Amino acid sequence: MSYAIETYDLTKIYKSEEKTVVAVDSLNLNVEKGLVFGLLGPNGAGKTTLIMMLTGLTLPTSGSGKVLGYDIVKESLQIRRKVGLLPDPFGFYDHLTAEQNLEYIAALNDISKAERKKRVKEVLTAVGLYEVKDRKVGGFSRGMKQRLGIAQALIKDPELLIFDEPTAGLDPEGARAFREQVGRLSKEGKTIMLSTHLLFEVGPLCNYIAIIDRGKLIVQGRVRELVEKMMVEEGYRIRVKATGDVQTLITNIAQLNEVSEVKREGDTILIKANRDVRSDVNKIALSLGLEVLSLQIEEPTLEDLFMKYYRRGEVAEHA
Amino acid sequence: MPSMFTVALKEFSDIMKGKRFIVLVIVFGLLLTVAIASVYLTVMQNINIPGIAMPRGFLGRAAYTLIAMMSYFAPIIGLALGFDAISGEKEKGTLKIVLAQPVYRDIVVNGKFLAALLATSLAILVASIANIGGAVFILGVTPTGEEVARLVLFIVFSILFAMTYYSIAVLLSTISKRTTQSMIIGVVLWAIFTFVIPIIASLVAFTVRPIRIGQNIQNMTREEMQQLMEEMRSRTVITEAINSFTPNYHFGRIAQYILNVYTGMAIGPRNSTEVRSISIMEGLTSAWPNILVLVLVTAIAFIASYMIFMRQEIR
Repeated sequence: MSYAIETYDLTKIYKSEEKTVVAVDSLNLNVEKGLVFGLLGPNGAGKTTLIMMLTGLTLPTSGSGKVLGYDIVKESLQIRRKVGLLPDPFGFYDHLTAEQNLEYIAALNDISKAERKKRVKEVLTAVGLYEVKDRKVGGFSRGMKQRLGIAQALIKDPELLIFDEPTAGLDPEGARAFREQVGRLSKEGKTIMLSTHLLFEVGPLCNYIAIIDRGKLIVQGRVRELVEKMMVEEGYRIRVKATGDVQTLITNIAQLNEVSEVKREGDTILIKANRDVRSDVNKIALSLGLEVLSLQIEEPTLEDLFMKYYRRGEVAEHA
Repeated sequence: MPSMFTVALKEFSDIMKGKRFIVLVIVFGLLLTVAIASVYLTVMQNINIPGIAMPRGFLGRAAYTLIAMMSYFAPIIGLALGFDAISGEKEKGTLKIVLAQPVYRDIVVNGKFLAALLATSLAILVASIANIGGAVFILGVTPTGEEVARLVLFIVFSILFAMTYYSIAVLLSTISKRTTQSMIIGVVLWAIFTFVIPIIASLVAFTVRPIRIGQNIQNMTREEMQQLMEEMRSRTVITEAINSFTPNYHFGRIAQYILNVYTGMAIGPRNSTEVRSISIMEGLTSAWPNILVLVLVTAIAFIASYMIFMRQEIR
C-alpha cells in the first residue's frame, strides 16, 4: 500500500513556564495516495501542529512519520519539495506584486528563470488572478490572498497539497471557487489534505477523513465506509413517498423484523431499520397495489459523522 | 537547491526600495551637510584670530564631525534594518510561506545578513563619499593619499559598527514575540550604550576620584601637579573600563586611531600645537583589540540568533 501520509505514535508537547500542552497525542494516521483527505476537528484540536510536523516546520516530541515515503524529521527538505502547503495563518510580501511574490517562491523552489515565468502564469491563471498579476498584494482582498496562497502551493507542481483552514474568511463565492479548484486538482490525481473545522464547506469534497480532538485521533477511514458503519450502528433511515392507502403500508412495514420504527411525517413515511429494507418496502407497496413515488435511504452527513465520533470522544474523555 | 543569494537578492531589493532606508540615508546626508557647514563656519570665524590653533589638513577639519555623525548613524541604520528581520516575517505570516519551501532555515538568516551588509555598505559608502566630497568643496581642503586611505578604512569600520548593531537587532528580532517589542528593546539598548553608560561611567569616575575644588593650578607644586595628572588618568581608566561595555566606545577608539583625529588622546595628552601623528599601521595595531571586540560582538549576536532561529518552533 502506498501511503501519502503515515504517522506512528506521533506526539508533540509544547512546554512553557506556565503549562505543558499535549498538542498531538500518539497519533497514528494512514492516508493513501490520491485521496482527498479531511483532517477534521474543532479549533485547538492539534490540526495545525500536525501539519507543521508533517512538513518539517516543527519537530515531533516523540513518534515518527512519513510523507510521500520521506521521514518527517530526517528528510523534511524532500517533503517540502513535493508538498504544496497553504498554512494558516499566512501572508505575502504586501509591497510586492502577485507575480513578484510567486517568482520569489518559485526561486526558492529552484525553478529555473525560464521556467519560472511560465509556471507563475500557469498557476495565476489556474486561480483566476492572472489579470491582477501586476497589482501589489497589499491591496488584495482576503479571498484574493487565499487564491494566491493556493497558487504558491501549486507552483512546485506538488504530489501532495496540504491546505490548513482553506476556506476560513472566504465569502461563499470564494469557498465555492476553492471547492471547484480542489475538485480539478483531485481529478489530476493529486493527494489533497484539507484541515478544517468548517465541515459543511469542504466536507463534501473528502473521501477519507480523520477526526481529531485535543491531539487524539478519534476516528479515521474512508467516508463511505464510515457512513455505512454509522448506518449499521445507528440504523438505516429510509424515506418513502407513496400514493393510496399509506396507513396500511405503514402497518405492513412495521411488521418487518428489521424495522424498529415507522412514522408518518406529512406525505412521507419515515422508517428506521437495522438493515436496508428498501426492496422489502417496494414489494409490500406492490402487493398492496400502491404506487411508490420515491424510496430513498437517508445517509448520514459528514456533520452527523463528526458529531457522532466527536461526542463519543468527549464521553470517553470524561469517563 | 536555492542558495542564500536568492534570499539576499530579494531582501536587498526590498531594503533599497523601502522608504525606511531612503529616509535614513537622506536624513544622515542632511545631518552631515549641516555638521560640515558648522565646521566651515567655525573655521571661517577663527581663521583670522591670532593665537587660535587651526586643525591641520582635511581630516583635522572634518574627522571629528564624521566620527560623531557615524556614531549615531551606523547604529540607527543597523537597528532599522534588523529589528523586524525575523519577527516581522513571523507577524506577517511570510515566514511560514518561505519555510514551507525546500529551503534550509540558515539560508534565510544568512541571506538577510548578506543583504543588510550590502545595503549598509552602500548607504555608508554613498553618504560618506557625498559628504567627503561636500567637505572638500566647502572647506576647500583636498584630502591627501594617506587621508583617503584612512577614510576608506573608516568607512570599512563604520560598516562593521553598523553590522554589530544589525546583529544585535536580528537577535532581538529572533527572540521577541513582536516587532514592536524588538524595536523598543533595540532603541533602549542603543540609548543605554550611547548616553546612559557614558554618563554612568563619568559619574562613577568622579565619585571614585572626585575633583578637588578650590585649588589653583597656577599655585600647584610639581608633586601636586603630578598627583592631579594621576587622578585624571585614573578617572579616564575608570570611564574607559565602564564604556568598554558598549560597542560605541570601541568604534570611537577605532575611528580615532584610524582617522588620527587631532585629539591624540590615545598616545598622549591633548595639545593643539603638538599632536603626534600616528601612521595607519600604528593606528590599526592600536585599534586591534577594539576591532576584535566589534567583530566578536557581531559574530556572537549573529550566531546566537542563527542558533535560536534554527531551533525555533513555527506555529
